[in-house]
Amino acid sequence: MILPKKGDPIIVQNITGRYGKIHTRMMLDYGTNIAAGATPGKGGQEVEGVPVYNSMAEAVDKSGAKYSVIFVPAEFTYAAAEEAFQAGIKLLVIITERIPIRDELKMLELARSHGASIVGPNCPGLIVPSQRVKLGIMPVTAFAPGKVALFSRSGTLMYEIADQITRAGFGQSVALGIGGDPINGLTAGECLDFVERMSETEAVVVVGEIGGDAEERLAKHVAKTANKKPVVAYIAGRHAPKEKKMGHAGAIIYGNFGTAESKIDALRSAGVRVAMTPSEVPSLVAQALKK
Amino acid sequence: MRLFEYQAKDIFKDYGIPVPKSILAHDVAAAGEAFRGLNHPAVLKAQVLAGGRGKAGGVVAVHDDGEARREASRIFGLSIGGEKPASILVEESYPHQSELYLSVTLDRGERSFVTIATAAGGVEVESLSGKVIRKVPLEGINESYAREVAGDLDLSEPSAGQFGAILLALERLSREKECELAEINPLAVGIDGNIIALDAKVIVDDNALFRHPEFAKLHPEDEFEGEASREGFAFVRLGGDIAVVGNGAGLVLSTLDLVGDAGGKPACFLDLGGGAQQDRIEAALRLVNKLPECNRILVNIYGGITRSTDVAQGILSVLASGPVKPIYARVSGADEEAAKAMLKDSNVNLYTTAPEAVQAVVKSR
Repeated sequence: MILPKKGDPIIVQNITGRYGKIHTRMMLDYGTNIAAGATPGKGGQEVEGVPVYNSMAEAVDKSGAKYSVIFVPAEFTYAAAEEAFQAGIKLLVIITERIPIRDELKMLELARSHGASIVGPNCPGLIVPSQRVKLGIMPVTAFAPGKVALFSRSGTLMYEIADQITRAGFGQSVALGIGGDPINGLTAGECLDFVERMSETEAVVVVGEIGGDAEERLAKHVAKTANKKPVVAYIAGRHAPKEKKMGHAGAIIYGNFGTAESKIDALRSAGVRVAMTPSEVPSLVAQALKK
Repeated sequence: MRLFEYQAKDIFKDYGIPVPKSILAHDVAAAGEAFRGLNHPAVLKAQVLAGGRGKAGGVVAVHDDGEARREASRIFGLSIGGEKPASILVEESYPHQSELYLSVTLDRGERSFVTIATAAGGVEVESLSGKVIRKVPLEGINESYAREVAGDLDLSEPSAGQFGAILLALERLSREKECELAEINPLAVGIDGNIIALDAKVIVDDNALFRHPEFAKLHPEDEFEGEASREGFAFVRLGGDIAVVGNGAGLVLSTLDLVGDAGGKPACFLDLGGGAQQDRIEAALRLVNKLPECNRILVNIYGGITRSTDVAQGILSVLASGPVKPIYARVSGADEEAAKAMLKDSNVNLYTTAPEAVQAVVKSR
């Protein structure tokens, strides 16, 4: 994965839809170069001054973009992702929620075979404050340029914690939504490896939640790789009931699998500082940076 | 969406997976009649979605008419994980020599569906040892895959061949019906070596339901859950007295933790969704206000793109339309001060941070 820089051309898929339009405006206002939009059958129009093309092939050809953000409804997301990869997109940000699991697995296979990456699905996207680049839907007021890399399975919880990190004066080098579904594109472990090579990043904050074993896998990853950058985590759902989907498709405990306790224990054993509430995160970041 | 056992077994039958003969009964008299229509002894099985059915007394063998009716009456009176059985599956018992476990399920970490099989079923899958786990390709499995799994379990004929056929059918069912989980536990090996599915657990991918209209009418919903899903809210009823409403699943989950840590008991989890607007807030407040067990409402909105003034306006219109349970709200965002001014003369308690709002709502009793 290569993060987009200021001025890099970016495509919005389904730019003519309600959310596509609203967020194209907000991404442009932040300073992001939304260079083209794609919606089948809507070519020739302009949305917020951005030219719209009928196909991704054309949009990529005209804009030279390697990045695309998808605002396509769940039923059509797989087809849109396939079109994006075939057109040469290397980083695909999928905001859409409620995508079927088997479509997500197929998209991951496609991404692999095209040497591309997926951020999400069911995520707020990614933002690089120092570049004023945003491929997503997050409110930019929560973010400021800085040294914390923030990865989150949840959207608003990412904003809440980013806001507190910003108020504490640390800011973010990058913030990226892993996604709230059982199947994700970029994993927390892959994100961690990525920021190890990113000089601006001095600490990492991971926001997890109940369901699955992503945090346990992250803990193993932290334990076995000699990460030099300290990791702080917060896990939501300590009081969640079992066998109930808590908003996100991926936030569900089956039996004793996917509990917050298991994740917190695993992360602590790997030397990760775990906050019990979102408001504890900034002080743990401060501690981590002092060492 | 998890299916009831009898619904899952109906699908098993469609796919040629053998199950014992059974009749569904909705009351005690029907259970007695079902018992008379089957070979004896039979097993009464409470039809609930909650786990731990056996431990809660929801599964029992019955040998005569009187016992069948007595036990049916007892089971209809049970509450299993807060769930009252609406029906009982009366099923012929199947004498068997051993029990296997078989499922096709999503392995989230491996990002793949997998087959899980063991030669010792009957208990919770986490506690099973000697598990055979194999990835399932997206396009499905073939006969040699099924034979290999049967071989891993050291099954002999006729069990091995039947097991292979059942695995092929279960995988096809899982793929075609887009299940997160299709599980047989136990899969019983009879005295004669014939294999039959004694239980059936099927969880369908909620996000794939648009491709499966056949599942649309399978579930009787709680009236509040029904209303919430029509409004497009993520909603879970939790049994306590503080309704928890917010924008974003993670934020609401985190708010439940704050409430729990402070000693409070949430009545529900309600996620408005990311772009919460005035009409959404109104609909959510009206819904939780109707929950009989709820006596106060906690609202936690991170106002980013959502404007705090929209939230305030939503609260005001609900207040204007009739009596509302006490509201404790944390509404952050750029126009927070304006929102506070709007709510100043109402009886809404407004806070700047989530911990403050949570402390206040929990201590208010």
